Amino acid sequence: MTEVSLRNVIKRYGTQQAVHGIDLEIENGEFVVLVGPSGCGKSTTLRMIAGLEAISDGEVSIGGRVVNDLPPRERNISMVFQNYALYPHMTVRENLGFSLTIAKRPEDEIVRAVDEAAGILGLDELMDRKPAALSGGQRQRVAMGRAIVRHPDVFLFDEPLSNLDAKLRSQMRVEIKKLHQKVDSTIIYVTHDQVEAMTLADRIVLMRDGRIEQVGTPLQLFEQPVNIFVAGFIGSPPMNQLAGTVEGDAISLGEVYVPIPSSVRGQLSNGQKVIFGFRADNLTPVGHGLREKGETTQLDLRVHLTEPLGTETLLFATLAGAEIQGKMLNPRPVAPGEDLTFNLMLDRCHVFDAATGNAIGRT
Amino acid sequence: MDRNRTHRNRRRVLAWMHFFGLFIVMAIICIPGLWIVLNSFRPTVEIMAKPPVWVPSFTLDHYRAMFGGAGEGGVPVFHYFRNSLVVSVTSTVIAILIGMSGGYAFARYKFRFKGGIFVGLMLFRAVPGVALSLPLFIVFARVGIIDTHFGLILVYVAMNVPFTVWLTDGFFRQIPGELHEAAEIDGCTRWQAFWKVEFPVARSGVASAAIFAFLTSWNEFALASQLTRSTGSKTMPVGLLDFTAEFTINWGGMCALAVLMILPALILTFIVQKHLIAGLTFGGVKG
Amino acid sequence: MRRRLPEWFVLLLPAFIVIAAVVLIPLIFSLYSSFTPYKLTRPSTLWRWVGTYNYQKILTDANFWAAFGRTVLFLTIVLNVELLLGLGIALMVNRVTWGQRTLRTILMFPMMFSPILVGFQFKFIFNDNVGLVNNVLQSLGITDMALPWLVDGRLAMFSIVFAEVWMSTSVFAILILAGLFAMPRDPLEAAEVDGCTPWQTFRHITLPFLMPFIYIAMTIRSLDVARAYDIVQIMTGGGPARRTELLWTLMSRTGYVDARMGLANAMGYVSIILSILFTIYFFRKLSAARAEIGLEG
Ligand SMILES: Nc1ncnc2c1ncn2[C@@H]1O[C@H](COP(=O)(O)OP(=O)(O)O)[C@@H](O)[C@H]1O
Ligand SMILES: [Mg+2]
Repeated sequence: MTEVSLRNVIKRYGTQQAVHGIDLEIENGEFVVLVGPSGCGKSTTLRMIAGLEAISDGEVSIGGRVVNDLPPRERNISMVFQNYALYPHMTVRENLGFSLTIAKRPEDEIVRAVDEAAGILGLDELMDRKPAALSGGQRQRVAMGRAIVRHPDVFLFDEPLSNLDAKLRSQMRVEIKKLHQKVDSTIIYVTHDQVEAMTLADRIVLMRDGRIEQVGTPLQLFEQPVNIFVAGFIGSPPMNQLAGTVEGDAISLGEVYVPIPSSVRGQLSNGQKVIFGFRADNLTPVGHGLREKGETTQLDLRVHLTEPLGTETLLFATLAGAEIQGKMLNPRPVAPGEDLTFNLMLDRCHVFDAATGNAIGRT
Repeated sequence: MDRNRTHRNRRRVLAWMHFFGLFIVMAIICIPGLWIVLNSFRPTVEIMAKPPVWVPSFTLDHYRAMFGGAGEGGVPVFHYFRNSLVVSVTSTVIAILIGMSGGYAFARYKFRFKGGIFVGLMLFRAVPGVALSLPLFIVFARVGIIDTHFGLILVYVAMNVPFTVWLTDGFFRQIPGELHEAAEIDGCTRWQAFWKVEFPVARSGVASAAIFAFLTSWNEFALASQLTRSTGSKTMPVGLLDFTAEFTINWGGMCALAVLMILPALILTFIVQKHLIAGLTFGGVKG
Repeated sequence: MRRRLPEWFVLLLPAFIVIAAVVLIPLIFSLYSSFTPYKLTRPSTLWRWVGTYNYQKILTDANFWAAFGRTVLFLTIVLNVELLLGLGIALMVNRVTWGQRTLRTILMFPMMFSPILVGFQFKFIFNDNVGLVNNVLQSLGITDMALPWLVDGRLAMFSIVFAEVWMSTSVFAILILAGLFAMPRDPLEAAEVDGCTPWQTFRHITLPFLMPFIYIAMTIRSLDVARAYDIVQIMTGGGPARRTELLWTLMSRTGYVDARMGLANAMGYVSIILSILFTIYFFRKLSAARAEIGLEG
């Protein structure tokens, strides 16, 4: 049983506070991703769990045991670092077996564990090389192998893929997911890349400026962002956001009016300043969307730029002075400057209070 | 919870041991030097007092005597200081020029027996000064450059060149070869490219080589004591001996001269101390 | 058309010339004179060839062997103590979070001292009559008689080792500290997570990484181990009764006091070979250690 729990965990550097009281319960075997913009305190949080940073205040426990003052070696964790942190003077084999050697395990057990890890990650050919003679992707595998060999209670990953090129990254993403299915240990994974977070996580913890903004499954964060920040961070392309004012039963976005979506009807007051948000997927040219029925409204927009992606084409247009993006499924060629009529799926739209940034109509 | 407390306590004990250890080390490093400075300001009677006087009184007598020249024994400190300065500065400048050109050759050109020549050069630096001073004394006496600035400068240049070559070689190697090629394409001659591009980048290494050369020359004794005889060429380390007589030593006067000797080295080292470490490690580790 | 010398040779030429003039020629001369009974006072003796007579003489001289053995022992002790202390100091300073620059500056302090000054300084401090050490010991009542620091053979050796260590530990401390600064943090943290105790981290990760820096320090030190001559010459002059006689003081006495240059130069050659062996040894270790942590090239 190795659940991890953080209770009001705080990190101070001198007078400056980097993490402002994190509360988080992570279940046994869960894959949790900490995501957020760079500098928001993800690494710091992870390193406090690892025991590499002192905990200024609050409590961290692993497997029901408070570990605040325990050194990393007494926490039975393993960690994969952003820069791999391989031991430069040891061969791959020695790197993999190091933790077991230190623990004075019997020789044959070490050999077995190392060979097993090497097999899982396809490192058999490289065992006698030193890290300097490996490519980035290979180093990354060795770093993961080193973590696997110990059979830890908790795996910690700190941006393990950010030094790889795009193709390797998506490959390794799959491998990490497979790895989790195989070892079913608890995994805490830090990244600034929302795609990684969406694809890997059982549960995402989205952080900003040392605080948690929202915790939930990838779909929850995608479909029910609690505020503008989450809405803007999750999803690609980012959610379109337009400033508007409530006028009767419509929202005025400058010269354009859209009806108030039924989900928030009754929760807005006349004259309230709001942010109106919708994703590109939900703004589609008539005849090129997922569905045409339901709660929709129509907008006439001039497309001034297109980005064909094969199965779909991103369309760039201007609405009420702001640049917005729509999506065309089953695409046909569109010339820049062409005027199109779009369906906007109102039931998929989000309304945020402009003053607080919080979502309206979702609790 | 218990293990948490154990670790907390262990950390606290270690922190105290750490602080205490550092304190002792720093004290041992500082006290001898401070003792010298302190005694240069104490009257001789007090230095020699038995039982010891722990509350020091203050006097400038030793400095007055030293700069007055005529005082006790009349040690011509000014001459020594000037000799030291002339010899050290000149030999440092020359050693840097020669050593830099050698270091550049090792860093930028390929030639046969390079490794061997390099190690050979270093080995000349390993020849002990005392062992060298005997034959050098005879040879210099023959040539007639004994007891001259020139002779001493020549010796110090030779002593400092190998080390300078080592350091600057390491530094020039850090600089990608494309740098001077780019400069040459931009219209520089090879010579201009070196001075305008490569030299400024390697400045840190050159600075540290210079300070080492200077300190070596400024502090050298074994050779200087044999190759200099008169006021016109004796350096300060040799001059220290002037304060010793057959059975007695004028400690106060010697401390004053010691302070005068350390001050320039101290100031100079402070100015370039940042480069000092960089120079040593770049030059050495990645050589 | 004149064939031009290769550029590298032109660049190295000044270095070759100076070293040839100041080191090589005298060394050849002294090699020659070590096969003669040359005495400064009688120049004509320079032309009498006596073969390996001087070498046979020193090889059968008990005083020489005593000095030789003492020198090797002295160097071994001094270098090891300096290494251990330097390592300890560097590790301590590296952990300091506040005022580290100041500490580092203080560390450099002894490097600026002239060896001869260090000699006088400790001759003063260990002086049995007015020295700081005895004054403190007596004032604190730890001992009531003056300890003969520089007069008793064993204490004198200790004092000399102390002075030498005081002067040169900095070289190790500074260089190892530089190594610690250059050390990547990640492998250290990885080792902690991998279950290492602080000692194991040091042993398996830090130390291998520091090895090249340690060998640089060793190489630099072995280049001028003979600086100890200045210290010994001033503090005891090799006495009492030759108890602190090192190769270098013996040589200088034979050459300058007894004026037996031929014999002294033969000893000089032994000391040169000793220095060169030390230097080559550490130079090779340095290359090997560099390759080990993949810094080669
Ligand atoms: N050693 C330190 N001293 C002071 N501030 C730090 C230190 N380490 C990190 N910080 C600050 O803490 C904040 C969080 O850093 P970090 O956890 O590394 O962010 P990230 O989410 O990018 O991993 C940053 O603002 C950073 O500047
Ligand atoms: Mg980070």
